[in-house]
Amino acid sequence: MSSISTILDIAKREQKRLLARPVYIFSMVIAPVIAFIFFTTLMRDGLPCELPAGIVDDDNTSVTREVIRNLDAMQQTHVVAHYGSVAEARKAMQEGRIYAFYYIPKGTTQLALSSKQPTVSFYTAPSYIVPASLEYRDMKMMSEYASGAITRATLYAKGYTDAQAMAVLQPIRCEMHAVNNPRLNYSVYLSNTILPGIIMLLIMQVTIYAIYVEIKEETSKEWMSMAGNDVVKALTGKLLPHLAIWLLMGALCLVWLYGLWHFPLNSGIWPMVLNMFLLIIASFAFAVFFCGCVPSLRWALSLATLWGVLSFPISGFSFPQMAFPDPLRALSYFFPLRHYFLIYVDQALNGLPLIYSWQDIAIQTAFLILPLFVLGRLRKFLMEYHYTH
Amino acid sequence: MNWLKNIINIWFYEIKNALFDEGAVVFFIVVPLLYPLLYAYLYGNENVREVPTVVVDNCNTLTSREFLRRADATADIKIVGHCADMEEAKEMIHQREAYCLIYIPEEFDSDIIAMRQATVELYSDMSGLLYYKAVLGGCTEVSLDMNKEIKAMRLPGATEEQLSTFQYPIEYQYVPMFNTQSGFATFLIPAVLMMIIQQTMVLGVGMIAGDEREKHRKGLVDPHLIGKRPHEILIGKSMVYFAIYAVVAVYLVCIVPPMFHLVHIWDWRALLAFMVPFILSCVFFSIAVSALAHDRESFIIMFVFLSIPLLFASGISWPASNIPHFWKAFSWLFPSTFGINGFVRITEMGARLPDVMPELAALWIQTFAYLCLSFLVYKRTYREQISA
Repeated sequence: MSSISTILDIAKREQKRLLARPVYIFSMVIAPVIAFIFFTTLMRDGLPCELPAGIVDDDNTSVTREVIRNLDAMQQTHVVAHYGSVAEARKAMQEGRIYAFYYIPKGTTQLALSSKQPTVSFYTAPSYIVPASLEYRDMKMMSEYASGAITRATLYAKGYTDAQAMAVLQPIRCEMHAVNNPRLNYSVYLSNTILPGIIMLLIMQVTIYAIYVEIKEETSKEWMSMAGNDVVKALTGKLLPHLAIWLLMGALCLVWLYGLWHFPLNSGIWPMVLNMFLLIIASFAFAVFFCGCVPSLRWALSLATLWGVLSFPISGFSFPQMAFPDPLRALSYFFPLRHYFLIYVDQALNGLPLIYSWQDIAIQTAFLILPLFVLGRLRKFLMEYHYTH
Repeated sequence: MNWLKNIINIWFYEIKNALFDEGAVVFFIVVPLLYPLLYAYLYGNENVREVPTVVVDNCNTLTSREFLRRADATADIKIVGHCADMEEAKEMIHQREAYCLIYIPEEFDSDIIAMRQATVELYSDMSGLLYYKAVLGGCTEVSLDMNKEIKAMRLPGATEEQLSTFQYPIEYQYVPMFNTQSGFATFLIPAVLMMIIQQTMVLGVGMIAGDEREKHRKGLVDPHLIGKRPHEILIGKSMVYFAIYAVVAVYLVCIVPPMFHLVHIWDWRALLAFMVPFILSCVFFSIAVSALAHDRESFIIMFVFLSIPLLFASGISWPASNIPHFWKAFSWLFPSTFGINGFVRITEMGARLPDVMPELAALWIQTFAYLCLSFLVYKRTYREQISA
């Protein structure tokens, strides 16, 4: 009984400390909420539309104007300007006004009508990879369509039906099925992992700050003596209020993504609640582990910062892990966000039974062992170390 | 000339301070040195190749096997298994043994023979967009090739040219400019480099400022600051940060990209004329926001997480033309937004200085605005400290 009341006393002490400093309120509540709002409203369209594109139409016939009108009518492409030459369009691209342009040389219509096979071109700037690939898709589709329209006209004249004409034009057709994200919504790709990632990064940083600021302000002995110099009790009591706040923020994140924005949730909410819970716990485990590795607020914080920021690319939600070099593929297993992402894919995205995610759940849980390696050291640090400028 | 002496005095003192402070040195030197290498190594393959793919070939004829053989031969796709039915294939994807599925229906071959359009169905695990692109790209390539051959068989005696004209009365070609292989590293690394300059500077400068404030609260003031005026301190310190980052920037801009074979076609004069205001605006931005650094460490927590939203707000990934006005205005507060766009266009797209004029002007405006703000910050900070 007494150990529970000890822990609760330390928790109350921590609660006062959390309320006393703006840095806690900022980083535990304001920062995550800003991040939630930022990412979901930034990518609220799901797929960027009406991207600026240019036209160089040297031919300028009713046929080419029709092609341009059709291109402009496509969802992702918006024709913002006509340029006199390829050089001008290229310059507009270098000025960042357009991501792509379509070039129709002089005589295209006439050559096409006399079966001389003219060539049109489209140029994109893949340094801006997302808009460039979307406009590429539209322009390619437009080119296929324009070409096909002429051939189809010939075939219809010969009495072919629609289906027959398509079979002649394109004997084999590839049909793509984007299961569970048919619109290729980018926010579903990114926000689903970035938002929990920001929670993870902030947990690691805030936890380390909260533990080591005690050494800095020379209150760590007082804290430890409240716990009877038992580091487990001291940490449990201290981190209890943190856990409560982060669980609330985690819940808010899930409500935000699946309740408010209706992102795919094919597993039901409970597996994702488990996933978020494990991420939060694993982040605490890493924070305590980093504290035990280096007895200095600024070094432990730097370590957590590097680890936390590296989590984003290495979890593989944008550039897939299978394309990493081998050492980094191996390293990726040591990042809680990597496992969160994999569990999310199995559960919310693909709606598989929970058993499919057992390995990631097991590893995420196993991270809880990490603090055990350093408890002795941490106790010593908290009892003996002094902050140095 | 007393002021000049004061400035030089501060410069020498502060550069030692910055380079021997173990916390600041992490942000000023270690992170800029190592992080780009790590990122470039991570994204070194530029694209996903040989995506593990399972097939369900219900047709199982010469033609369907030929389609699969060619798909396997593309750089995008690697066939890792043949399954009897869709359930088995899906199971392999669920076990993460494969990411894509090619399904060839039973009537595939008979459709071709009967001159109906035959369909190949493709499925991709949607955990990554690049899998989707790989399987679709690879199979489209194969189908275009095979279509050409099928048509040649159907029109015996037609020349290659006649066939091609029939298929494509208007031929088209696609020209990706600058980042020609649409690589991931080429797209992301330049933005990361600029973000590293801004964020590490903010963190390092904030740490030093937080440290000074903590000491001040304990009644300690660095003796060399006594008798100096705020503008002398501002010039002295900002020139220290500028000098450090001039060296860091040479490394990031001139050494890292060639080391990883990233596109770099820049005109060095344009680059120089662009990087100077970028670094200056970062310096004064860092000093201005260091006013928020109450102590050494809390500042790190408040600023690190911003790196990720700022990268997105720059328009390098999610296009600027689709960023809501509010966030666009927010992004204009940070040098990184203009730095990233100008840098990418100069180094990757061969833009000249006049092509990046809006970004350049914005950086100079930021430099001036944050200079004024920094002056006010220092005036307040040091009047208090030095008169104390």
